[in-house]
Amino acid sequence: MNQVQKGYRRYLQLRGVVLLVAIVLLGRLFYVQIIEDKYDDMATANIIRRPEIEYPMRGEVLDRNGEYLVRNRVCYDVMVVTSNIPKSGFDTLRLAHILEITPERLASQLKKARRAPRAPFLITGYLSQEAKLIFDEGNFEGFYTRFRTAREYPRKIGGNLLGYVSEVTEEQVKKWEYYKPGDYIGVGGVESAYETLLRGEKGVSYRIYDTHGALKGSYFDGELDVLPVKGSQLVSTIDGRLQEFAEELMVGKVGAVVAIEPSTGEILVMVSSPTYNPDLMVGRQRNNNYAAMLHDQRNPQFNRAVKAKYPPGSTFKLVQGLIGLQEGVLRPSDRHPCSMGYSYGGRKMKCHEHRSPVDLRDAVATSCNAYFCYVFKDIITNPKYGSVRSGVERWNEYVESFGFGRKLDSDFYGEGKGFVPTPEYYDRKYNGRWNYGSVLSCAIGQGEMGCTPLQMANLAAIVANRGYYYPPHIIKHIEGQDSIDARFYERHYTLVDSINFVPIVEGMWRSVNVWGTSGGARLEGWNVCGKTGTAENPNGKDHSTFLSFAPKDNPRIAISVYVEHGGFGSAIAVPIASLIEELYLTDTITRPQLIERVKEFTPNYAYYEKMQRRHDAERAKKSN
Amino acid sequence: MKSHYNISARGAAGGSMSLFGHIDIVTLMLYVALVLVGWLSITSASFDSESAEIFSFSHNYMKQLMWIGISSVVAVVLLLIDRRYFHMFAYPAYVVGILLLLACLALGREVNGAKAWFEFGGIRVQPVEFAKIATALMMARVMSSYSFNIKRFSDLVKVAAVILIPLAIIVKQNDTGSGLVLGSFLFVMYREGLSKYIYFPAIFTVFLFIVSFIFKPETIFLTLLVLFAGYTLLKTGAWKEHVQFISIVLLAIMLLSSFTPLSGYAAIMIVCSIAAVVLVWMAIKSRALMLLWPILMYVYAMLFVPTCDFLFTKLEPHQQNRILTFVGMKSDPTGIDYNVNQSLIAIGSGDLLGKGFLQGTQIRYDYVPEKHTDFIFCTVGEEWGFLGALVVVALYISLILRLMRMGERIGEPFGRVYCYSVAAILLFHVWVNIGMTIGLMPVMGIPLPLMSYGGSSLVAFTILIMIAIRLDASTTDDNIYSL
Repeated sequence: MNQVQKGYRRYLQLRGVVLLVAIVLLGRLFYVQIIEDKYDDMATANIIRRPEIEYPMRGEVLDRNGEYLVRNRVCYDVMVVTSNIPKSGFDTLRLAHILEITPERLASQLKKARRAPRAPFLITGYLSQEAKLIFDEGNFEGFYTRFRTAREYPRKIGGNLLGYVSEVTEEQVKKWEYYKPGDYIGVGGVESAYETLLRGEKGVSYRIYDTHGALKGSYFDGELDVLPVKGSQLVSTIDGRLQEFAEELMVGKVGAVVAIEPSTGEILVMVSSPTYNPDLMVGRQRNNNYAAMLHDQRNPQFNRAVKAKYPPGSTFKLVQGLIGLQEGVLRPSDRHPCSMGYSYGGRKMKCHEHRSPVDLRDAVATSCNAYFCYVFKDIITNPKYGSVRSGVERWNEYVESFGFGRKLDSDFYGEGKGFVPTPEYYDRKYNGRWNYGSVLSCAIGQGEMGCTPLQMANLAAIVANRGYYYPPHIIKHIEGQDSIDARFYERHYTLVDSINFVPIVEGMWRSVNVWGTSGGARLEGWNVCGKTGTAENPNGKDHSTFLSFAPKDNPRIAISVYVEHGGFGSAIAVPIASLIEELYLTDTITRPQLIERVKEFTPNYAYYEKMQRRHDAERAKKSN
Repeated sequence: MKSHYNISARGAAGGSMSLFGHIDIVTLMLYVALVLVGWLSITSASFDSESAEIFSFSHNYMKQLMWIGISSVVAVVLLLIDRRYFHMFAYPAYVVGILLLLACLALGREVNGAKAWFEFGGIRVQPVEFAKIATALMMARVMSSYSFNIKRFSDLVKVAAVILIPLAIIVKQNDTGSGLVLGSFLFVMYREGLSKYIYFPAIFTVFLFIVSFIFKPETIFLTLLVLFAGYTLLKTGAWKEHVQFISIVLLAIMLLSSFTPLSGYAAIMIVCSIAAVVLVWMAIKSRALMLLWPILMYVYAMLFVPTCDFLFTKLEPHQQNRILTFVGMKSDPTGIDYNVNQSLIAIGSGDLLGKGFLQGTQIRYDYVPEKHTDFIFCTVGEEWGFLGALVVVALYISLILRLMRMGERIGEPFGRVYCYSVAAILLFHVWVNIGMTIGLMPVMGIPLPLMSYGGSSLVAFTILIMIAIRLDASTTDDNIYSL
């Protein structure tokens, strides 16, 4: 091979090398650009970074007269993307000052944020509008604000009633697709029951950012963006002024007040005491306030009005009498003797001193224990049912028709059932061997009986309506809807005929207006009807309770007041109910001294105090 | 001797004054096309729609336009110079180039850790760009000298010196990437007859070097053993013996590592060493000398890989990191890896047709680092897609092939070596630069010829290419060396 041929061959070989380079480059380009698709997504992810959630305004809640119970105020979340913080740093002291947090808090938040330097991280929430303006002027690179709204409670009432808004938990995120970490969700009360309506619909926006994090406009001119839809406004059945008044009266007492409009089932007042200022559950101090409440043994977060199980005491005699009348074992004119109580099987159900014998109306008016023991015994030992067991079963059916021992199907999540003992329960308790004596305490609403204050208020409404109720509810109108859920328009009749309510109502009227335990509830011209209760309990002084409705004909309000360890029904429950009724019916307050007396009345809560001391001691021990 | 080079089938032409008539229009057009594509890309990469004055010279694309003007003047001047002067100026140019590099080392400005820049009133010049030209001319001069024979050792040493002197200074400047460009002269030397047996071990060594970081030595030895056994099997066809041999080796390794305190690595080393000796002995005994060189390569690998590993442990940690990142064994997501990732994203999201001029999101929103200089190819990939990339690669490859063809037809060694040098430098730049943007090559600060933003690079490549065109244009001027 000569020199020329050899040179030419090498020329061809080197040309091959050049072409090989071209093929490798183009092959790789073909793969990267055409076959591999992930870079397209990565390019989009680069410029969009993430779909930005736009939070809708949560729906407000109005009271029945149109004033705000819950409204929104504008606030801002302060976010950071630590990778965008300039290397030269920034004035941390100044930022902490503007954000109204301690420099240490800012430093610890930044440390957490740096774990994912390119992800937005919430430094702090609830920045006021004024502070936001100052923050914007500071031009802190890497930090930005996010529009949010926070709940605000003009009257600062109805903590348990309204519920609050809180960040979703991990379990909630797992359970419902709608929620993403960092979203807010209603907890308790109206916020929780009407969450899907109140929350609105989240919007989303896609924005383009350059590599330095500067906003460069909308992706696809915003065609893919979805605007947030504001949550529905709700009109509550609550009367804000009445609610506030009732809460004031209940200060210092543990218990509940529930008032219902009998003709509709609308809840006018629902107080669970102790309550809390719902504003405490908004803002930066939220966690501290929440923890403080958790350690309070009176448990302000527990909605006693719908969850507590209280013995109804004498107020339950109304039900007893009604069942007796319906069953035909009792006539209004029947008289029973009472010698300071009712003796049976070597035991005695005690009664207070009053004239004897009494008929049904006066038995209701004076709240005679013995009388209703006779009635109850007659009901459950009625020969037509053959046995006490069947008698109790029949009695159970009646009691349940009054809404006891089951949920009333109100619009509250977590509504309690209360408890009504059944034959099966007694079988278990007494090993199958029991007689009417074993269950007699039910005659006067003691023993195993447990009712929620809502159920008791509902009983007042039933009696006011002479035999039926509408499921009590707290929302009467939803923005954009013609009506609320159909179940709230449905009358629920008890198993007792309307006619049989007459003597009972008469007794309740007499108790207030003529002679009886409820005299303190008298309002001139309003024909208030009422029934006191004094429920024994193992933890201290008797509970004070009172059921009432007014006026007697075409009643406008039915109310149940329950004060734990308040003593006689007439001692505290009656005046509270009476003051609320007066304000509602007449729009005036004529007895300021009574208000003062009620406010100053503080039952002896030795039981709770003992629990609190024990709890505090345990905490102190733990923290050591 | 001249008469042998009859590839240059160009008819006799007029005198040296009708220069433009002989200029290779194809090369010139390819040059112009690449400069224009480059300028469009720079415009796209640095266009700021928010800027009021789009023709302001504060914009990179306007500055580059100025450099294009300067380059055009340089090109015209070069095309008017008689070719004999290039031959004449080779030595002085080389000396000046070396002096510039040294001056830079002493007085230069440090950018990105490399002390490789001069700065005159805001304009940075990289002397290495001109050192390339000087070295190319010097190579051509040395290799075209009378009675030069690359197979002669003394001549090879001369050539090596021409390359290694600037290379050493450039490496000293900490600008290794630019220094490696000089390695592309191996391409030229191959054309001029350097033995292929110098290339095989070189390529094999580079291969082993990279592989030794990616795989464990055991894996490499076993793989090579199987490969060489497979190769000899194909050559000899002795199936039975090969299966026996491989089985014995594997069995011995297993026995040694199970029943002696030796580690698996040691067992493999021992058995493979013995196997290598046996193989050499068998090859000699059976006179199968053609099997000897793969066996020798195997032995070489057995020596090289552990040595490499050992030397590696002696390096400074940051040097180790650099090598590990280089071979992809260590990721550096905020530094080099980040750049390559963003570059891949930009190019990869271009798809077939691209996003259109000024529409590339990754470019516009600054996601690609060095988007108008070293990563200018991203603009092509993102905005013009695979088709655009294909066109650009085709332009470069055409230019390189054209230069090689010009070298062949020039018909005398000075012009040929020079044209090949330009082709080789271009090829190296294109391969490393585009390869870097698509993740085939490590990131080295090497611009894309004619396209990347930067005056000294553009002017230097203009000079390189124009000299080649000028040399080619006067091929027929027979008596140039008979002065």
